[in-house]
Amino acid sequence: MNPLILTIILMTVFLGTMIVMASSHWLMIWIGFEMNLLAIIPILMKKYNPRAMEASTKYFLTQATASMLLMMAIIINLMHSGQWTITKVFNPTASIIMTLALAMKLGLTPFHFWVPEVTQGISLTSGLILLTWQKLAPMSILYQISPSINLNILLTMAVLSILVGGWGGLNQTQLRKIMAYSSIAHMGWMAAILVYNPTLTMLNMLIYIMMTLTMFMLFIHSSSTTTLSLSHTWNKAPLITTLILITLLSMGGLPPLSGFMPKWMIIQELTKNSSIILPTLMAIMALLNLYFYMRLTYSTSLTMFPSTNNMKMKWQFETKQITLLPPLIIASSLLLPLTPMLSILD
Amino acid sequence: MMTYIVFILSVIFVIGFVGFSSKPSPIYGGLVLIVSGGVGCGIIMNFGGSFLGLMVFLIYLGGMLVVFGYTTAMATEQYPEVWVSNATVMGVFLLGLLMEVMLVLYVLKSEEVGVVFKFSSVGDWAIYDIGNSGVFSEEIVGVAALYSYGAWVVVVTGWSLLVGVLVILEVTRGD
Repeated sequence: MNPLILTIILMTVFLGTMIVMASSHWLMIWIGFEMNLLAIIPILMKKYNPRAMEASTKYFLTQATASMLLMMAIIINLMHSGQWTITKVFNPTASIIMTLALAMKLGLTPFHFWVPEVTQGISLTSGLILLTWQKLAPMSILYQISPSINLNILLTMAVLSILVGGWGGLNQTQLRKIMAYSSIAHMGWMAAILVYNPTLTMLNMLIYIMMTLTMFMLFIHSSSTTTLSLSHTWNKAPLITTLILITLLSMGGLPPLSGFMPKWMIIQELTKNSSIILPTLMAIMALLNLYFYMRLTYSTSLTMFPSTNNMKMKWQFETKQITLLPPLIIASSLLLPLTPMLSILD
Repeated sequence: MMTYIVFILSVIFVIGFVGFSSKPSPIYGGLVLIVSGGVGCGIIMNFGGSFLGLMVFLIYLGGMLVVFGYTTAMATEQYPEVWVSNATVMGVFLLGLLMEVMLVLYVLKSEEVGVVFKFSSVGDWAIYDIGNSGVFSEEIVGVAALYSYGAWVVVVTGWSLLVGVLVILEVTRGD
Protein backbone atom coordinates (compact mmCIF):
# COMPACT_ATOMS: atom_id res chain seq x y z
CA MET A 1 0.00 0.00 0.00
CA ASN A 2 1.13 3.54 -0.63
CA PRO A 3 2.87 4.65 2.61
CA LEU A 4 0.89 7.89 2.85
CA ILE A 5 -2.42 6.04 2.52
CA LEU A 6 -1.29 3.45 5.03
CA THR A 7 -0.38 6.20 7.49
CA ILE A 8 -3.73 7.92 7.07
CA ILE A 9 -5.64 4.67 7.47
CA LEU A 10 -3.72 3.57 10.56
CA MET A 11 -4.19 7.02 12.03
CA THR A 12 -7.92 6.76 11.43
CA VAL A 13 -8.08 3.37 13.14
CA PHE A 14 -6.29 4.94 16.10
CA LEU A 15 -8.50 8.06 15.99
CA GLY A 16 -11.69 5.98 15.86
CA THR A 17 -10.83 4.09 19.02
CA MET A 18 -9.68 7.26 20.76
CA ILE A 19 -12.96 9.00 19.89
CA VAL A 20 -14.91 6.06 21.30
CA MET A 21 -12.89 6.04 24.51
CA ALA A 22 -12.91 9.80 25.10
CA SER A 23 -16.45 10.81 24.17
CA SER A 24 -19.34 11.52 26.47
CA HIS A 25 -21.96 11.89 23.74
CA TRP A 26 -23.47 8.68 22.41
CA LEU A 27 -23.47 9.91 18.81
CA MET A 28 -19.75 10.59 18.85
CA ILE A 29 -19.15 7.11 20.21
CA TRP A 30 -21.12 5.63 17.35
CA ILE A 31 -19.17 7.80 14.88
CA GLY A 32 -15.94 6.54 16.43
CA PHE A 33 -17.00 2.91 15.97
CA GLU A 34 -17.92 3.49 12.34
CA MET A 35 -14.65 5.31 11.62
CA ASN A 36 -12.73 2.43 13.18
CA LEU A 37 -14.63 -0.13 11.12
CA LEU A 38 -14.26 1.78 7.86
CA ALA A 39 -10.54 2.26 8.24
CA ILE A 40 -9.64 -1.27 9.26
CA ILE A 41 -11.17 -2.87 6.16
CA PRO A 42 -8.20 -2.14 3.86
CA ILE A 43 -5.84 -3.34 6.57
CA LEU A 44 -7.69 -6.67 6.62
CA MET A 45 -7.56 -6.78 2.84
CA LYS A 46 -3.84 -6.19 2.50
CA LYS A 47 -3.39 -9.24 0.31
CA TYR A 48 -5.91 -9.37 -2.48
CA ASN A 49 -6.78 -13.06 -2.42
CA PRO A 50 -10.45 -14.14 -2.21
CA ARG A 51 -9.92 -15.51 1.32
CA ALA A 52 -8.97 -12.11 2.67
CA MET A 53 -11.80 -10.40 0.84
CA GLU A 54 -14.31 -12.86 2.23
CA ALA A 55 -12.91 -12.38 5.72
CA SER A 56 -13.14 -8.58 5.40
CA THR A 57 -16.72 -8.83 4.13
CA LYS A 58 -17.71 -11.04 7.07
CA TYR A 59 -16.05 -8.65 9.51
CA PHE A 60 -17.75 -5.65 7.93
CA LEU A 61 -21.20 -7.26 7.96
CA THR A 62 -21.09 -8.36 11.60
CA GLN A 63 -19.61 -5.12 12.88
CA ALA A 64 -22.05 -2.99 10.87
CA THR A 65 -24.97 -4.98 12.28
CA ALA A 66 -23.59 -4.45 15.77
CA SER A 67 -23.27 -0.70 15.10
CA MET A 68 -26.87 -0.57 13.95
CA LEU A 69 -28.02 -2.37 17.09
CA LEU A 70 -25.98 0.09 19.14
CA MET A 71 -27.64 3.01 17.34
CA MET A 72 -31.08 1.59 18.08
CA ALA A 73 -30.17 1.19 21.75
CA ILE A 74 -28.88 4.78 21.80
CA ILE A 75 -32.14 6.06 20.32
CA ILE A 76 -34.27 4.05 22.76
CA ASN A 77 -32.13 5.48 25.57
CA LEU A 78 -32.66 8.98 24.15
CA MET A 79 -36.40 8.42 23.98
CA HIS A 80 -36.63 7.38 27.61
CA SER A 81 -34.17 9.79 29.16
CA GLY A 82 -34.07 12.76 26.81
CA GLN A 83 -30.32 13.20 26.89
CA TRP A 84 -27.24 11.88 25.19
CA THR A 85 -24.68 11.47 27.99
CA ILE A 86 -23.14 8.14 28.55
CA THR A 87 -23.14 7.87 32.32
CA LYS A 88 -26.19 5.69 32.83
CA VAL A 89 -28.44 3.77 30.49
CA PHE A 90 -31.93 4.59 31.69
CA ASN A 91 -33.98 1.84 30.12
CA PRO A 92 -33.48 -1.92 30.56
CA THR A 93 -34.40 -2.60 26.92
CA ALA A 94 -31.76 -0.17 25.73
CA SER A 95 -29.24 -1.68 28.11
CA ILE A 96 -29.87 -5.22 26.88
CA ILE A 97 -29.66 -4.22 23.21
CA MET A 98 -26.47 -2.28 23.91
CA THR A 99 -24.91 -5.25 25.69
CA LEU A 100 -25.76 -7.54 22.80
CA ALA A 101 -24.36 -5.06 20.26
CA LEU A 102 -21.08 -4.69 22.15
CA ALA A 103 -20.88 -8.47 22.59
CA MET A 104 -21.19 -8.81 18.81
CA LYS A 105 -18.31 -6.39 18.41
CA LEU A 106 -16.14 -8.27 20.88
CA GLY A 107 -16.91 -11.76 19.67
CA LEU A 108 -18.67 -13.16 22.73
CA THR A 109 -20.83 -16.25 22.34
CA PRO A 110 -23.39 -16.53 20.71
CA PHE A 111 -21.87 -13.94 18.35
CA HIS A 112 -18.46 -15.56 18.15
CA PHE A 113 -18.78 -17.26 14.76
CA TRP A 114 -16.98 -14.56 12.83
CA VAL A 115 -13.82 -14.54 14.96
CA PRO A 116 -12.09 -17.75 13.78
CA GLU A 117 -13.07 -17.31 10.15
CA VAL A 118 -12.01 -13.66 9.92
CA THR A 119 -8.75 -14.25 11.81
CA GLN A 120 -7.88 -17.19 9.60
CA GLY A 121 -8.46 -15.34 6.35
CA ILE A 122 -6.13 -12.42 6.98
CA SER A 123 -2.39 -12.03 7.43
CA LEU A 124 -0.70 -12.37 10.81
CA THR A 125 -0.14 -8.64 11.32
CA SER A 126 -3.75 -7.82 10.45
CA GLY A 127 -4.88 -10.57 12.80
CA LEU A 128 -2.75 -8.98 15.51
CA ILE A 129 -4.47 -5.61 15.09
CA LEU A 130 -7.88 -7.30 14.91
CA LEU A 131 -7.50 -9.30 18.11
CA THR A 132 -5.87 -6.63 20.27
CA TRP A 133 -6.62 -3.08 19.20
CA GLN A 134 -10.20 -3.70 18.08
CA LYS A 135 -11.16 -5.04 21.49
CA LEU A 136 -10.30 -1.80 23.26
CA ALA A 137 -13.18 0.33 22.04
CA PRO A 138 -16.14 -1.98 22.84
CA MET A 139 -14.61 -2.92 26.18
CA SER A 140 -14.28 0.73 27.16
CA ILE A 141 -17.96 1.30 26.44
CA LEU A 142 -18.91 -1.81 28.42
CA TYR A 143 -16.78 -0.45 31.26
CA GLN A 144 -18.63 2.86 31.18
CA ILE A 145 -22.14 1.36 31.16
CA SER A 146 -21.27 -1.46 33.57
CA PRO A 147 -23.61 -0.32 36.40
CA SER A 148 -26.67 -0.74 34.19
CA ILE A 149 -25.88 -4.03 32.45
CA ASN A 150 -28.27 -6.94 32.92
CA LEU A 151 -26.26 -9.45 34.93
CA ASN A 152 -27.95 -12.62 33.66
CA ILE A 153 -27.31 -11.91 30.00
CA LEU A 154 -23.69 -10.90 30.50
CA LEU A 155 -22.83 -13.85 32.72
CA THR A 156 -24.52 -16.30 30.34
CA MET A 157 -22.55 -14.90 27.44
CA ALA A 158 -19.33 -14.96 29.46
CA VAL A 159 -19.63 -18.57 30.59
CA LEU A 160 -20.65 -19.75 27.12
CA SER A 161 -17.72 -17.84 25.64
CA ILE A 162 -15.24 -19.51 27.94
CA LEU A 163 -16.76 -22.87 27.05
CA VAL A 164 -16.78 -22.21 23.30
CA GLY A 165 -13.31 -20.69 23.35
CA GLY A 166 -11.90 -23.74 25.09
CA TRP A 167 -13.88 -26.39 23.28
CA GLY A 168 -13.67 -24.89 19.82
CA GLY A 169 -9.91 -24.58 19.90
CA LEU A 170 -9.35 -28.22 20.66
CA ASN A 171 -9.21 -29.56 17.11
CA GLN A 172 -7.29 -26.70 15.51
CA THR A 173 -3.88 -26.84 13.91
CA GLN A 174 -3.96 -23.39 12.33
CA LEU A 175 -2.33 -20.92 14.67
CA ARG A 176 -4.59 -18.01 13.78
CA LYS A 177 -7.70 -20.01 14.62
CA ILE A 178 -6.11 -21.06 17.91
CA MET A 179 -5.48 -17.41 18.74
CA ALA A 180 -9.07 -16.56 17.74
CA TYR A 181 -10.56 -19.14 20.10
CA SER A 182 -8.15 -17.99 22.79
CA SER A 183 -9.48 -14.47 22.24
CA ILE A 184 -13.09 -15.65 22.62
CA ALA A 185 -12.27 -17.37 25.91
CA HIS A 186 -10.38 -14.37 27.31
CA MET A 187 -13.24 -12.04 26.36
CA GLY A 188 -15.50 -14.37 28.32
CA TRP A 189 -13.31 -14.01 31.42
CA MET A 190 -13.36 -10.23 31.01
CA ALA A 191 -17.12 -10.08 30.63
CA ALA A 192 -17.72 -12.28 33.67
CA ILE A 193 -16.18 -9.85 36.14
CA LEU A 194 -17.46 -6.68 34.46
CA VAL A 195 -20.49 -6.14 36.65
CA TYR A 196 -18.74 -7.00 39.92
CA ASN A 197 -15.44 -5.15 39.55
CA PRO A 198 -14.77 -3.42 36.22
CA THR A 199 -11.18 -2.61 37.19
CA LEU A 200 -10.33 -6.29 36.88
CA THR A 201 -11.77 -6.27 33.37
CA MET A 202 -9.26 -3.61 32.48
CA LEU A 203 -6.46 -5.55 34.16
CA ASN A 204 -7.40 -8.69 32.25
CA MET A 205 -7.56 -6.69 29.01
CA LEU A 206 -4.08 -5.26 29.63
CA ILE A 207 -2.48 -8.62 30.37
CA TYR A 208 -4.37 -10.33 27.53
CA ILE A 209 -3.19 -7.70 25.02
CA MET A 210 0.41 -8.09 26.14
CA MET A 211 0.29 -11.88 25.88
CA THR A 212 -1.46 -11.87 22.52
CA LEU A 213 0.99 -9.29 21.18
CA THR A 214 3.86 -11.51 22.29
CA MET A 215 2.39 -14.61 20.69
CA PHE A 216 1.73 -12.88 17.40
CA MET A 217 5.19 -11.34 17.35
CA LEU A 218 6.72 -14.76 17.87
CA PHE A 219 4.57 -16.21 15.08
CA ILE A 220 5.52 -13.35 12.75
CA HIS A 221 9.20 -13.85 13.53
CA SER A 222 9.09 -17.52 12.63
CA SER A 223 6.67 -16.83 9.72
CA SER A 224 4.55 -19.75 10.80
CA THR A 225 0.82 -20.09 10.57
CA THR A 226 0.39 -23.79 11.29
CA THR A 227 1.44 -26.03 14.13
CA LEU A 228 3.65 -27.98 11.78
CA SER A 229 5.46 -24.88 10.65
CA LEU A 230 5.84 -23.66 14.21
CA SER A 231 7.33 -26.98 15.22
CA HIS A 232 10.31 -26.31 12.97
CA THR A 233 11.42 -23.17 14.76
CA TRP A 234 13.97 -25.09 16.81
CA ASN A 235 15.99 -25.15 13.63
CA LYS A 236 16.14 -21.48 12.99
CA ALA A 237 15.91 -19.77 16.38
CA PRO A 238 15.90 -22.10 19.36
CA LEU A 239 15.34 -19.28 21.80
CA ILE A 240 11.96 -18.60 20.19
CA THR A 241 10.77 -22.04 21.23
CA THR A 242 11.52 -21.29 24.88
CA LEU A 243 9.72 -17.97 24.63
CA ILE A 244 6.72 -19.70 23.02
CA LEU A 245 6.68 -22.16 25.90
CA ILE A 246 6.70 -19.44 28.53
CA THR A 247 4.11 -17.23 26.83
CA LEU A 248 1.71 -20.05 26.07
CA LEU A 249 1.83 -21.28 29.65
CA SER A 250 1.18 -17.71 30.77
CA MET A 251 -1.85 -17.52 28.48
CA GLY A 252 -3.13 -20.73 30.00
CA GLY A 253 -3.14 -19.05 33.36
CA LEU A 254 -0.47 -20.97 35.20
CA PRO A 255 1.27 -19.47 38.21
CA PRO A 256 3.99 -18.10 38.66
CA LEU A 257 3.52 -16.43 35.27
CA SER A 258 1.61 -13.19 34.85
CA GLY A 259 -1.34 -14.81 33.09
CA PHE A 260 -2.33 -16.20 36.46
CA MET A 261 -2.92 -12.73 37.91
CA PRO A 262 -6.19 -11.83 36.14
CA LYS A 263 -7.68 -15.29 36.61
CA TRP A 264 -6.80 -15.32 40.31
CA MET A 265 -8.21 -11.83 40.87
CA ILE A 266 -11.39 -12.65 38.93
CA ILE A 267 -12.03 -15.84 40.86
CA GLN A 268 -11.38 -14.01 44.13
CA GLU A 269 -13.81 -11.21 43.25
CA LEU A 270 -16.48 -13.67 42.17
CA THR A 271 -16.23 -15.66 45.39
CA LYS A 272 -16.33 -12.43 47.39
CA ASN A 273 -19.71 -11.84 45.75
CA SER A 274 -20.97 -15.22 46.94
CA SER A 275 -20.94 -17.09 43.68
CA ILE A 276 -19.00 -20.32 44.08
CA ILE A 277 -20.26 -22.55 41.29
CA LEU A 278 -19.59 -20.00 38.58
CA PRO A 279 -15.85 -19.47 39.14
CA THR A 280 -15.41 -23.22 39.64
CA LEU A 281 -16.98 -23.85 36.25
CA MET A 282 -14.91 -21.08 34.68
CA ALA A 283 -11.67 -22.44 36.11
CA ILE A 284 -12.51 -25.95 34.92
CA MET A 285 -13.31 -24.73 31.42
CA ALA A 286 -10.07 -22.78 31.29
CA LEU A 287 -8.39 -26.17 31.42
CA LEU A 288 -9.61 -26.80 27.88
CA ASN A 289 -7.70 -23.71 26.83
CA LEU A 290 -4.64 -24.91 28.67
CA TYR A 291 -4.86 -28.24 26.87
CA PHE A 292 -4.39 -26.87 23.39
CA TYR A 293 -1.72 -24.43 24.55
CA MET A 294 0.12 -27.39 26.06
CA ARG A 295 -0.25 -29.30 22.81
CA LEU A 296 1.31 -26.38 20.97
CA THR A 297 4.24 -26.18 23.39
CA TYR A 298 4.67 -29.96 23.25
CA SER A 299 5.02 -29.95 19.50
CA THR A 300 7.16 -26.81 19.41
CA SER A 301 9.58 -26.73 22.27
CA LEU A 302 9.40 -30.02 24.11
CA THR A 303 9.72 -32.54 21.29
CA MET A 304 11.08 -32.74 17.78
CA PHE A 305 7.86 -32.99 15.84
CA PRO A 306 7.84 -35.74 13.18
CA SER A 307 8.55 -34.46 9.71
CA THR A 308 10.35 -35.61 6.62
CA ASN A 309 14.08 -35.17 6.59
CA ASN A 310 14.21 -32.53 3.92
CA MET A 311 11.80 -30.38 5.89
CA LYS A 312 14.01 -30.24 8.93
CA MET A 313 15.82 -27.13 7.78
CA LYS A 314 13.36 -24.26 7.91
CA TRP A 315 13.27 -22.11 4.80
CA GLN A 316 12.97 -18.41 5.47
CA PHE A 317 13.27 -15.63 2.95
CA GLU A 318 14.35 -12.72 5.09
CA THR A 319 14.62 -12.01 8.78
CA LYS A 320 11.44 -10.42 9.97
CA GLN A 321 11.81 -7.50 12.26
CA ILE A 322 10.17 -8.04 15.63
CA THR A 323 9.00 -4.99 17.49
CA LEU A 324 9.41 -4.69 21.22
CA LEU A 325 9.77 -8.38 21.86
CA PRO A 326 11.95 -8.31 25.00
CA PRO A 327 9.70 -5.95 26.99
CA LEU A 328 6.64 -7.92 25.86
CA ILE A 329 8.17 -11.20 27.01
CA ILE A 330 8.99 -9.72 30.39
CA ALA A 331 5.52 -8.21 30.71
CA SER A 332 3.70 -11.37 29.74
CA SER A 333 5.58 -13.68 32.07
CA LEU A 334 7.03 -11.91 35.06
CA LEU A 335 4.34 -9.51 36.27
CA LEU A 336 2.84 -11.74 38.95
CA PRO A 337 4.85 -10.33 41.89
CA LEU A 338 3.37 -6.91 41.10
CA THR A 339 -0.11 -8.05 42.13
CA PRO A 340 -0.19 -6.01 45.39
CA MET A 341 0.09 -2.91 43.21
CA LEU A 342 -3.52 -3.45 42.21
CA SER A 343 -4.51 -1.62 45.38
CA ILE A 344 -3.62 1.67 43.72
CA LEU A 345 -6.41 1.14 41.20
CA ASP A 346 -9.27 1.67 43.65
CA MET B 1 -56.56 12.33 7.34
CA MET B 2 -54.23 15.23 7.95
CA THR B 3 -54.13 14.45 11.65
CA TYR B 4 -52.68 11.04 10.93
CA ILE B 5 -50.47 12.09 8.04
CA VAL B 6 -47.26 11.17 9.87
CA PHE B 7 -48.59 7.69 10.53
CA ILE B 8 -49.55 7.19 6.90
CA LEU B 9 -46.22 8.49 5.67
CA SER B 10 -44.39 6.21 8.11
CA VAL B 11 -46.29 3.21 6.81
CA ILE B 12 -45.36 4.07 3.23
CA PHE B 13 -41.75 4.55 4.43
CA VAL B 14 -41.63 1.07 5.93
CA ILE B 15 -43.29 -0.50 2.87
CA GLY B 16 -40.61 1.15 0.74
CA PHE B 17 -37.86 -0.29 2.94
CA VAL B 18 -39.46 -3.74 2.69
CA GLY B 19 -39.46 -3.24 -1.07
CA PHE B 20 -35.74 -2.79 -1.40
CA SER B 21 -34.63 -5.10 1.36
CA SER B 22 -36.30 -8.00 -0.43
CA LYS B 23 -33.41 -7.57 -2.81
CA PRO B 24 -34.52 -6.95 -6.36
CA SER B 25 -31.92 -5.54 -8.71
CA PRO B 26 -30.27 -2.34 -7.35
CA ILE B 27 -31.99 -0.24 -9.99
CA TYR B 28 -35.36 -1.05 -8.47
CA GLY B 29 -33.87 -0.62 -5.02
CA GLY B 30 -32.87 2.90 -6.03
CA LEU B 31 -36.38 3.56 -7.34
CA VAL B 32 -37.88 2.54 -4.02
CA LEU B 33 -35.28 4.64 -2.19
CA ILE B 34 -36.46 7.69 -4.13
CA VAL B 35 -40.03 7.07 -2.96
CA SER B 36 -38.86 6.41 0.63
CA GLY B 37 -36.66 9.50 0.57
CA GLY B 38 -39.50 11.69 -0.56
CA VAL B 39 -41.83 10.25 2.06
CA GLY B 40 -39.13 10.65 4.73
CA CYS B 41 -38.78 14.28 3.72
CA GLY B 42 -42.53 14.63 4.23
CA ILE B 43 -42.26 13.16 7.74
CA ILE B 44 -39.47 15.59 8.68
CA MET B 45 -41.39 18.53 7.29
CA ASN B 46 -44.45 17.62 9.30
CA PHE B 47 -42.35 18.04 12.44
CA GLY B 48 -41.42 21.54 11.34
CA GLY B 49 -38.04 20.79 9.86
CA SER B 50 -38.43 22.39 6.47
CA PHE B 51 -34.72 23.00 6.00
CA LEU B 52 -33.78 19.42 6.74
CA GLY B 53 -36.49 18.12 4.41
CA LEU B 54 -35.06 20.30 1.67
CA MET B 55 -31.62 18.86 2.46
CA VAL B 56 -32.98 15.34 2.05
CA PHE B 57 -34.36 16.16 -1.37
CA LEU B 58 -31.40 18.13 -2.62
CA ILE B 59 -28.44 16.22 -1.23
CA TYR B 60 -29.74 12.71 -0.70
CA LEU B 61 -32.10 12.31 -3.64
CA GLY B 62 -30.56 14.84 -5.95
CA GLY B 63 -26.94 14.06 -5.28
CA MET B 64 -26.29 10.67 -3.77
CA LEU B 65 -29.12 8.72 -5.38
CA VAL B 66 -28.39 10.22 -8.80
CA VAL B 67 -24.78 9.07 -8.57
CA PHE B 68 -25.97 5.70 -7.30
CA GLY B 69 -28.38 5.40 -10.21
CA TYR B 70 -25.68 6.19 -12.75
CA THR B 71 -23.21 3.68 -11.29
CA THR B 72 -25.83 0.94 -11.11
CA ALA B 73 -26.85 1.69 -14.67
CA MET B 74 -23.26 1.13 -15.70
CA ALA B 75 -22.98 -2.13 -13.78
CA THR B 76 -26.42 -3.63 -14.38
CA GLU B 77 -27.18 -6.92 -16.05
CA GLN B 78 -29.33 -7.62 -19.07
CA TYR B 79 -32.46 -8.79 -17.27
CA PRO B 80 -32.51 -7.18 -13.83
CA GLU B 81 -34.57 -8.84 -11.15
CA VAL B 82 -37.95 -7.34 -10.35
CA TRP B 83 -40.13 -8.21 -7.40
CA VAL B 84 -42.28 -10.57 -9.46
CA SER B 85 -39.55 -12.29 -11.43
CA ASN B 86 -38.11 -14.44 -8.68
CA ALA B 87 -40.19 -16.46 -6.24
CA THR B 88 -37.84 -15.71 -3.36
CA VAL B 89 -37.95 -11.96 -3.83
CA MET B 90 -41.71 -11.94 -4.17
CA GLY B 91 -42.07 -14.19 -1.14
CA VAL B 92 -39.95 -11.95 1.06
CA PHE B 93 -41.70 -8.83 -0.21
CA LEU B 94 -45.13 -10.30 0.48
CA LEU B 95 -44.02 -11.48 3.91
CA GLY B 96 -42.76 -8.01 4.78
CA LEU B 97 -45.98 -6.45 3.51
CA LEU B 98 -48.01 -8.92 5.54
CA MET B 99 -46.11 -8.12 8.72
CA GLU B 100 -46.49 -4.39 8.14
CA VAL B 101 -50.24 -4.75 7.53
CA MET B 102 -50.61 -6.81 10.69
CA LEU B 103 -48.67 -4.23 12.69
CA VAL B 104 -50.80 -1.40 11.30
CA LEU B 105 -54.00 -3.25 12.18
CA TYR B 106 -52.64 -3.92 15.68
CA VAL B 107 -51.85 -0.25 16.14
CA LEU B 108 -55.23 0.84 14.83
CA LYS B 109 -57.26 -1.57 16.90
CA SER B 110 -55.68 -1.50 20.33
CA GLU B 111 -55.39 1.33 22.81
CA GLU B 112 -51.76 0.90 23.70
CA VAL B 113 -49.02 -0.80 21.74
CA GLY B 114 -46.02 -2.23 23.52
CA VAL B 115 -43.67 -3.87 21.00
CA VAL B 116 -40.23 -2.73 22.10
CA PHE B 117 -41.43 0.42 23.76
CA LYS B 118 -44.90 1.57 24.60
CA PHE B 119 -46.79 4.19 22.73
CA SER B 120 -50.50 4.88 22.82
CA SER B 121 -51.48 3.63 19.35
CA VAL B 122 -52.34 6.14 16.65
CA GLY B 123 -52.68 9.02 19.07
CA ASP B 124 -48.96 9.31 19.55
CA TRP B 125 -48.37 9.79 15.85
CA ALA B 126 -50.63 12.82 15.48
CA ILE B 127 -48.82 16.12 15.81
CA TYR B 128 -50.75 18.65 17.80
CA ASP B 129 -47.95 21.01 18.59
CA ILE B 130 -44.41 21.20 17.28
CA GLY B 131 -43.19 22.45 20.64
CA ASN B 132 -41.53 25.51 19.24
CA SER B 133 -40.27 28.38 21.28
CA GLY B 134 -42.02 30.77 18.97
CA VAL B 135 -38.99 32.99 18.53
CA PHE B 136 -36.75 30.94 16.25
CA SER B 137 -36.87 27.60 14.53
CA GLU B 138 -34.75 25.10 16.42
CA GLU B 139 -33.70 23.05 13.47
CA ILE B 140 -31.93 25.87 11.66
CA VAL B 141 -30.35 26.95 14.93
CA GLY B 142 -29.17 23.37 15.26
CA VAL B 143 -27.51 23.51 11.87
CA ALA B 144 -25.87 26.80 12.82
CA ALA B 145 -24.72 25.31 16.11
CA LEU B 146 -23.09 22.48 14.19
CA TYR B 147 -20.65 24.94 12.69
CA SER B 148 -19.98 26.88 15.89
CA TYR B 149 -20.11 24.74 19.02
CA GLY B 150 -20.01 21.52 17.11
CA ALA B 151 -16.91 22.28 15.06
CA TRP B 152 -15.28 19.08 16.28
CA VAL B 153 -18.16 17.05 14.82
CA VAL B 154 -17.60 18.74 11.45
CA VAL B 155 -13.89 17.91 11.64
CA VAL B 156 -14.59 14.27 12.51
CA THR B 157 -17.23 13.78 9.83
CA GLY B 158 -15.10 15.53 7.23
CA TRP B 159 -12.16 13.29 8.11
CA SER B 160 -14.43 10.23 7.96
CA LEU B 161 -15.57 11.18 4.48
CA LEU B 162 -12.00 11.65 3.29
CA VAL B 163 -10.94 8.33 4.77
CA GLY B 164 -14.05 6.72 3.28
CA VAL B 165 -12.99 7.77 -0.19
CA LEU B 166 -9.42 6.60 0.40
CA VAL B 167 -10.63 3.26 1.77
CA ILE B 168 -12.94 2.65 -1.18
CA LEU B 169 -10.18 3.48 -3.65
CA GLU B 170 -7.79 1.20 -1.80
CA VAL B 171 -10.26 -1.70 -1.61
CA THR B 172 -11.27 -1.57 -5.25
CA ARG B 173 -7.73 -1.15 -6.50
CA GLY B 174 -7.13 -4.88 -6.76
CA ASP B 175 -3.58 -5.92 -7.46
